[in-house]
Amino acid sequence: MTPFRRSPEGVTTQLAAHESAILADLARQLIELLENRAAESPADLLYAQLGIGGPADPPLDPALARLLPDAYRGNQEAASEHRQLTELSLLERKVGNARAVIESLSDPGALTEGQLQSWLRTLTDLRLTLAARLQIETDDDEGIGDDAMLGVYDWLGYLQGSLIEVIE
Amino acid sequence: MSQTLDSPVADFELDEATSPDTPWITIVWNDPVNLQTYVSWVFRSYFGFSREKADRLMLLVHNEGRATVASGGREEMERHVESMHDFGLWATLAKDDS
Repeated sequence: MTPFRRSPEGVTTQLAAHESAILADLARQLIELLENRAAESPADLLYAQLGIGGPADPPLDPALARLLPDAYRGNQEAASEHRQLTELSLLERKVGNARAVIESLSDPGALTEGQLQSWLRTLTDLRLTLAARLQIETDDDEGIGDDAMLGVYDWLGYLQGSLIEVIE
Repeated sequence: MSQTLDSPVADFELDEATSPDTPWITIVWNDPVNLQTYVSWVFRSYFGFSREKADRLMLLVHNEGRATVASGGREEMERHVESMHDFGLWATLAKDDS
């Protein structure tokens, strides 16, 4: 069975129960990773409400560093200023996307346009995170890690490819 | 995608922004993770590129390691870069020195 199907109502997911459970678990782990990063920021309520006041330095964790890259290369000052103004909002949107995926997993109806966008972005964020854990850094890297994690990484790629195919 | 606020970063570095004729560019870098079909879809759905242009830029990213996908004012390029990061693409902006 293909993981996604296009019907007159829109795109519906057709995941097996254990697949949904794995995806929800991964999305929850992603949220935890992102929220831990957000919690590192010095809390200034006003700044937080505006989505600014984020950290000046990129994350040390390679997965977070890939999810939240510098906007400038070779210009640390500009990258740092930009990060302080934008990182918290970016984190918040990524968390929101992962939550939307979890919610839609328990809803048998067709994905809304917003949910569809969240799915595409969250599948990408999950793959980026796993790739960092598997030390996949160049096009030739096949990944270093246990078979289960490699299997999940490939499966997420299959899901993403299928979803693109369905919406094209 | 809603934008919470316009970044005032451009105001901070007048020394870099003294030449209004120098446009800024948005660069997308190759990564080993994102699917080619996804990158092409992002270019079409976000920038409104034709399939031909999106595929050409996607292949440029894949084969050359990078591609310039937009040029213009600094704030606009910052918004593009932020949107690319939303999509999980690796993007940066820079002054166009070409």
